[in-house]
Amino acid sequence: MQHDNGLTISLQPHTSGPRLLVVAGDLDHHTTPRLRAALEEVTFGPGTDLVIDLSGLTFCDSTGIATLVAAHQRAHDAGAALLLAGLDADIARVFQIMGLDRLLSFYDSPEEAVRALSG
Amino acid sequence: MGRKEPEVSTVDEAPGRQLPPASAAEARRLTAVHRYAALGTATGAAFDRVAALAARIFHAPFATVTVVGDGTVRVVAAHGLPPRRALVESLCAAAVRHGGPYVVNDALLDPRAAGDPAVYGEPGVRFYAAAVITTPDGEALGSVNVMDVRPREAGEEELACLRDLAGLVMDELEVRLATHRTVEVERELRAGAERLARTLQRTLLPPALPRVPGLCAAAAYHPVSADEVGGDFYDLFPLDGDRWGFFLGDVCGKGADAAALTSLVRYTLRAAAVYDADPHAVLANLDAVLQQEHAGGEAPAPYCTAVFGVLQPDGDGFGVTLATGGHPPALAVRASGAVEPIHPAGGQLIGILRNPHFAQVSARLNAGDALLLYTDGLTEARTPTGSMLDEDGLTAYLAAAGPTSADALLTTVHDLITALGTGVSDDTAVLALSVPPATRTPSSGSLGAA
Repeated sequence: MQHDNGLTISLQPHTSGPRLLVVAGDLDHHTTPRLRAALEEVTFGPGTDLVIDLSGLTFCDSTGIATLVAAHQRAHDAGAALLLAGLDADIARVFQIMGLDRLLSFYDSPEEAVRALSG
Repeated sequence: MGRKEPEVSTVDEAPGRQLPPASAAEARRLTAVHRYAALGTATGAAFDRVAALAARIFHAPFATVTVVGDGTVRVVAAHGLPPRRALVESLCAAAVRHGGPYVVNDALLDPRAAGDPAVYGEPGVRFYAAAVITTPDGEALGSVNVMDVRPREAGEEELACLRDLAGLVMDELEVRLATHRTVEVERELRAGAERLARTLQRTLLPPALPRVPGLCAAAAYHPVSADEVGGDFYDLFPLDGDRWGFFLGDVCGKGADAAALTSLVRYTLRAAAVYDADPHAVLANLDAVLQQEHAGGEAPAPYCTAVFGVLQPDGDGFGVTLATGGHPPALAVRASGAVEPIHPAGGQLIGILRNPHFAQVSARLNAGDALLLYTDGLTEARTPTGSMLDEDGLTAYLAAAGPTSADALLTTVHDLITALGTGVSDDTAVLALSVPPATRTPSSGSLGAA
């Protein structure tokens, strides 16, 4: 299996509202450590929410899923919300089969996720 | 015209076309020849160019590149001659025995060429010059040879060029040998990896499914890569009384870690089923074991998805209770040909979530019904249109195949995986169960009873 799409991660801090982490490319066992490291830099506390924009995500393997789940649990423990936005339909389907739709909140776009937090 | 080259006069071996009986040195030389000859393809444009260049440098009509074996002279390249045509084999052999640059100004006067058909017949070679192809460890393999039909002298510059050409041939042979060895090593490594993968897979999958009265069972494993072990697993085994347990699943990751995790999951599922065969409880137990395994660990949590079921004989069929944790739906192919999921809603990943939810559902397998369990390598495969096959695509494919049995179901899935080709990017394990169709032949009695 070849995935050549690399992975780009950028954190966009907001003065008001949630922070936005934009993740694009392939999340596999080669690239996931970089996402894990980026997420470890993010501090969570009550009201310091995070929206992860996955609209550029092209592939997500089991290590990527484990990392997203771990970040969600860490946010939850700190009383913060972690929202996923823009998930590709096929990846969303895989998440749904794994029962992650009961745990994680999916939104069509980052804007929609931000609106859900402020609403 | 006498021989002018001092090298020739130093050769003190008996004249003749055959090499002397193999001495230890000759045996060493032949071993070297054999080593390079093992390349099998020591011909090609590079050597043809060397022969052409040699002829041009000497303004001579003929040139060859030859390798001297055990009493044979093999032509690697020839210029001005039909392909593979040797000339003055006697002198080629003598050059190798001699070792250094070798010049015969007039072959008619050289005893080593006595009786050589190329000298005494067509084309009547008189002049011969050779530079020996010598391995880095000093063994003479053969030579680059130039021939003319008139007696003549060889210039210093020409001989120096001939030596360089022989060196070029040696370099090329070295590169080919190195490539050959790399390919050999790679082939051995691959064979080793394949053996390891097969061995591991054997330990992770049951060697044969047990015979369950009134049920047909079949399983298959479709690996994508021969040397990467995936984490798919399945099993079918007896429980208390006449009940049977079965499961199929997929652990996260690949390779040795996945193999170790697969082993843990398999034995935990079997042990948990002995303790409490309720499918929901079995998955909850597996979840607890995996969570504990990870406790305090730095690495991403190991987890799996699985379907666990219990079969209870019931009349001419079986009652089935299934629990799933994050796994794609099991599909029933009914005796009517209808395909329906047997899938409790909402089962979640096993081993990674806090308070995970595992769901359970009960169904019946009647005579003629079949049940298919599979891993996501199948449903996440890409169809030629680029879309994911998904449960819908699989359901449609099975529906088109109609009523089936466990064995036929496996064949259907095999055909589907073959048709998807490179669209399949992950291993797929398949477990199929079926209840034989009722035999309704009252006039001839029950054929199935034995």
